[in-house]
Amino acid sequence: MEQELVNLRTKAGQQLATVEDISQLEDFRIQFLGRKGQCSTIMKSLGKVPIEDKPRLGQMANSVKKEIESLYDEKRQLLLSNTASSSSQNDSIDLTLPGRKPETGKLHPVTQIMNEVCAIFESLGFSVAEGPDVEHDHYNFEALNIPAHHPARDMHDTFYVSDSILLRTHTSPMQARIMETRQPPLRVIAPGKVYRCDSDITHNPMFHQVEGFLVDRDVSFADLKGVLTVFTQKMFDKELELRFRPSFFPFTEPSAEVDIACVICEGKGCRVCKHTGWLEILGSGMIDPEVFKMVGYDPEVYSGFAFGLGIERIAMLKYGIDDIRLYYENDLRFLSQF
Amino acid sequence: MKFTINWLKEYVDTGDMSPESLAEQLTMLGLEVDSVTPVFPELAKLKTAKVLSVEAHPNADKLHLCEVAVGEETFSIVCGAPNVRKDLVTAIALVGTVMPDGTKIKASKVRGVKSFGMLCSERELGLSESHTGIMELPDETEHGQQLLVAIGMDDLLVDVDLTPNRPDCASVIGIAREVAGITRTPLTIPVESATLDHSSRDFSVDIEDSEVCPRYSARLIRNITIKQSPWWIRKKLLSIGMRPINNVVDITNLVMMEYGQPLHAFDYDKIAGKQIIVRHPKNNENTFTTLDGVKRTIEPDMLMICDAEKPIAVAGVMGGLNSEVSDNTTNILLESACFGAVSVRRTARRLKLPSEASYRFERGVDPGGCITVMERAVSLLCDIAGGEAMEGGVDSYQGIRPLNSQTIRISRTSSLLGIKLDYDKIADVLQSIGIRCKPKDDDTIWVNPPSFRIDIEREADLVEEVARLIGYDNIPTSLPTVSLSYPEQTPVRTLRKQISNLLVDIGFSEAINYSFVTEKHMSMMLLNEDDPRRKHVELLNPLSEEQSVMRTMLLPGLLENLKRNINFQKTSVKLFEIGKVFTPQGENEQPIEKERLTCILSGKRSGEASSLYNSDNTVDIFDAKGVSELLLETLRLYGCSTNDVISFRTPEENEQENYSDPVQCLILDSDKGILGQLSRLTPEVAKQFGLKQDVFFIDLDFEILCSLKATAKKFQQLPVFPAVKRDIALLVPTGIKAGDMLESIRTSKEKFIEHCEIFDVYQGKPLDHGMKSVAVSVTYRSPTKTLTEKNVNKSHTKIINLLTSKFNGSLREG
Repeated sequence: MEQELVNLRTKAGQQLATVEDISQLEDFRIQFLGRKGQCSTIMKSLGKVPIEDKPRLGQMANSVKKEIESLYDEKRQLLLSNTASSSSQNDSIDLTLPGRKPETGKLHPVTQIMNEVCAIFESLGFSVAEGPDVEHDHYNFEALNIPAHHPARDMHDTFYVSDSILLRTHTSPMQARIMETRQPPLRVIAPGKVYRCDSDITHNPMFHQVEGFLVDRDVSFADLKGVLTVFTQKMFDKELELRFRPSFFPFTEPSAEVDIACVICEGKGCRVCKHTGWLEILGSGMIDPEVFKMVGYDPEVYSGFAFGLGIERIAMLKYGIDDIRLYYENDLRFLSQF
Repeated sequence: MKFTINWLKEYVDTGDMSPESLAEQLTMLGLEVDSVTPVFPELAKLKTAKVLSVEAHPNADKLHLCEVAVGEETFSIVCGAPNVRKDLVTAIALVGTVMPDGTKIKASKVRGVKSFGMLCSERELGLSESHTGIMELPDETEHGQQLLVAIGMDDLLVDVDLTPNRPDCASVIGIAREVAGITRTPLTIPVESATLDHSSRDFSVDIEDSEVCPRYSARLIRNITIKQSPWWIRKKLLSIGMRPINNVVDITNLVMMEYGQPLHAFDYDKIAGKQIIVRHPKNNENTFTTLDGVKRTIEPDMLMICDAEKPIAVAGVMGGLNSEVSDNTTNILLESACFGAVSVRRTARRLKLPSEASYRFERGVDPGGCITVMERAVSLLCDIAGGEAMEGGVDSYQGIRPLNSQTIRISRTSSLLGIKLDYDKIADVLQSIGIRCKPKDDDTIWVNPPSFRIDIEREADLVEEVARLIGYDNIPTSLPTVSLSYPEQTPVRTLRKQISNLLVDIGFSEAINYSFVTEKHMSMMLLNEDDPRRKHVELLNPLSEEQSVMRTMLLPGLLENLKRNINFQKTSVKLFEIGKVFTPQGENEQPIEKERLTCILSGKRSGEASSLYNSDNTVDIFDAKGVSELLLETLRLYGCSTNDVISFRTPEENEQENYSDPVQCLILDSDKGILGQLSRLTPEVAKQFGLKQDVFFIDLDFEILCSLKATAKKFQQLPVFPAVKRDIALLVPTGIKAGDMLESIRTSKEKFIEHCEIFDVYQGKPLDHGMKSVAVSVTYRSPTKTLTEKNVNKSHTKIINLLTSKFNGSLREG
């Protein structure tokens, strides 16, 4: 038994010397230190030795096993460090090769901007509503204080489906639709597609808008300015100069168009801002009392503001897309840029 | 609305305000200035020249050799004009000048003699039709200066984008009033007010429908001489882009631009019965020739100006050829009237005849101004055209409006604008534009807007005036105080975002296509004639056939996108679109709008990624199936519990789409009806879209998808005891479906089966023809103990027996 232990120690030492790599080392571990390995076998046979030899042989067997284990650990460390150093010298790995990259797609830039716009207003507590693309003349015009033959209809080149059904020319019909069914206080935005029958270098017959409105007691024009200032500065990520300019929409009064300092020339004057240094980005105003009356709100009690903005226009300003034809061609060379 | 700075200055003193500052201030008052540009920029390089000498051209009878002085320099010019003579001051285009018609003046040889420029006629300069000779400038005109300076056209043209609520500003005086409000200086207006005796014996006026003609006034002017207008009138009209015609027409146009009141001059001698009748056409009056020479169809509800016999003008839109002022006209009847906005608008639209007059009438003309404006025109006609105005005229004013009297509350204005205001401030700004104010009580102000401000009808309109005059920039900025509420998310929107993000993460890009398409798509998709998707919502006024109907499917648009990408060498394409399709209902009803989700896959599986690590394998039906599975698993509608909401199956014969490959097609069933399908596009349909490569698609009803109930997330204890995995390789006839084999294992109720899956399918040598090898891996596990060989063997043997007997198979050896 003693001899067996000595032989095991020697044999292990010799065999370990021939081990050259991790996989051989693993074979060694199984052969000597595994559950059915030689150390275990010899330990098990300790049961058969005379009782008086047991403490001595047991101790010896343990120390042999520990010795083999420490030899194994030592060798393992050596091999691991060798592997590391050898691979760093090995020029078979060329790290200038590109990574193995999973392929991903892109959201359409219009969706990206739309999500960004909605997220800003959602953070301000606005809820999101969506409505029909094919709309009643009533909601698109009449309920917004634009009766038939009002010159303001010239501002909307309308696609008609029948006398009273049309493709909405703006997302503003959602103002009337929501106010008709809900009571103030209201904070709502309504994103969606809108349609106008003109098509040229600067107009697509379909584009995207986000309408928004806030109705409560004591809402003022100053509040309109505040909310839209927050929006604009978040959207363009900086302290942009902006101005509110009087304008006209039949469903708001007073009405304001919001201009930002041209993001392209920074207000110096360029082709995009027609050398004014300003870019129009949204239309807004205090909701006209007539609109409130039509949905049964008392304009003496409630006031509110509404605004609408074009997504493609913001995408143009943020991403510099200067050819609107690209939007709906779904060319991957375009989509993959955003 | 266009005007020039010099013209504006005739009515208001702009002090030392620069044109840029003026434009800026008008814009901030709501009169958005689109552009400020030099008048006639194309004439900027032309100079004045004085003819020093004229000699006959040696080789041509009609040409002259001239020496001309242009400031310090002299030039030799060949000129063919009959009026060229010594000492004449004229216009010259020197070498390098580009003429209005685009021709560039070069040094040239004319019949062998060199010429260094061109002496120009008014027509060549675009200043008149006159081409009988070169332009003649007054003798005292200095030569060598800019032509535009010499003729008083060194001016700036301002173009204002007028909003429909401000018809009063469709006139230079209207703009001047706003400017006077800024500068707080008085206006100088040629005729401020006038009256007319309603006492003409030379003609009569009858208005049949005073609703659409609140006022009609007219005067007779005799002994007019028709000729070209003086330069100062032509210059003004030319500067704003109006073509001078003759003195009478030019004066009516000039005065309309000054005051915003359209005027019309009839040839009095052509008016039958010396009678003016404002009426609708009679039954037999179906056509009318307007003074532009176009014969137009007129309709019973259009308003016409008629004489005793026939229509002679379309009211408020355009005069008639039959009563037009011509070179021989000596007596004119001058009309200054007001017509109903809606009537004029409808008529101008239907005749497709927008005019300067209809532009103003449809926005609203102040009937109170008719006589004043007529007086201005009459005095010019007398001064310039030598006319004699007859005493009195006709003024039929049935639509007389009471004095516009309103109130505005100080507290209301302050709270709506969010700025503290008082009587003084409000009255100050309103009075600056001529709105008279006086206090009513502590909080209320009486106001009288002038009659030309027809847009001011309510308190809200006055609040707007106050806001605009104070300046929006001077109103503070605040955030509203609102009660806290949770903005509910619509589930459709949440899901749309979730699905889009997932698809993007696995390589799809999002497409957005037009909602309107060509009807041809339906034939290209080989839809049956009675397919409901052939019933479209049609546009009455489409821009083109290509965009004439609302789409009923998303797939055709995506196929066109694929084709476009292939054309631009992107052949591996994965696109998806979530968008509406439209199903028509009754004629005056809204269609049903439903969202769909459609994906297409074509080209290499690895997309545009480098082939360094990726094979060039192309996508197949299992990519489409895998995407669907992943999508549904992510939504927890599939693969999350034993009773999935969704199942895949092959289509019944009557569900087979003509554009789907019958062999490679799966229907996705749900408990809310058919969710959609995934399939390979048939090559016939691919060919219709010009596609040669395989295309696979997934087409789902997004609303059903949103309505399905997701399996709730619920924690399962992690297994404590080890699993045992056993593989079976079975030889079965090729017709056997692997899915059926798994299904029968799952439903066998054999103990300990935790999971089973296919890990290999092989067909071909050395297997017999008609046979395939299907390798199944079955995982066994017990929740209560470590399984022994014996436990597993017992179940596994039963499974083998089940498979071999049920599927006519045998265990594959080796």
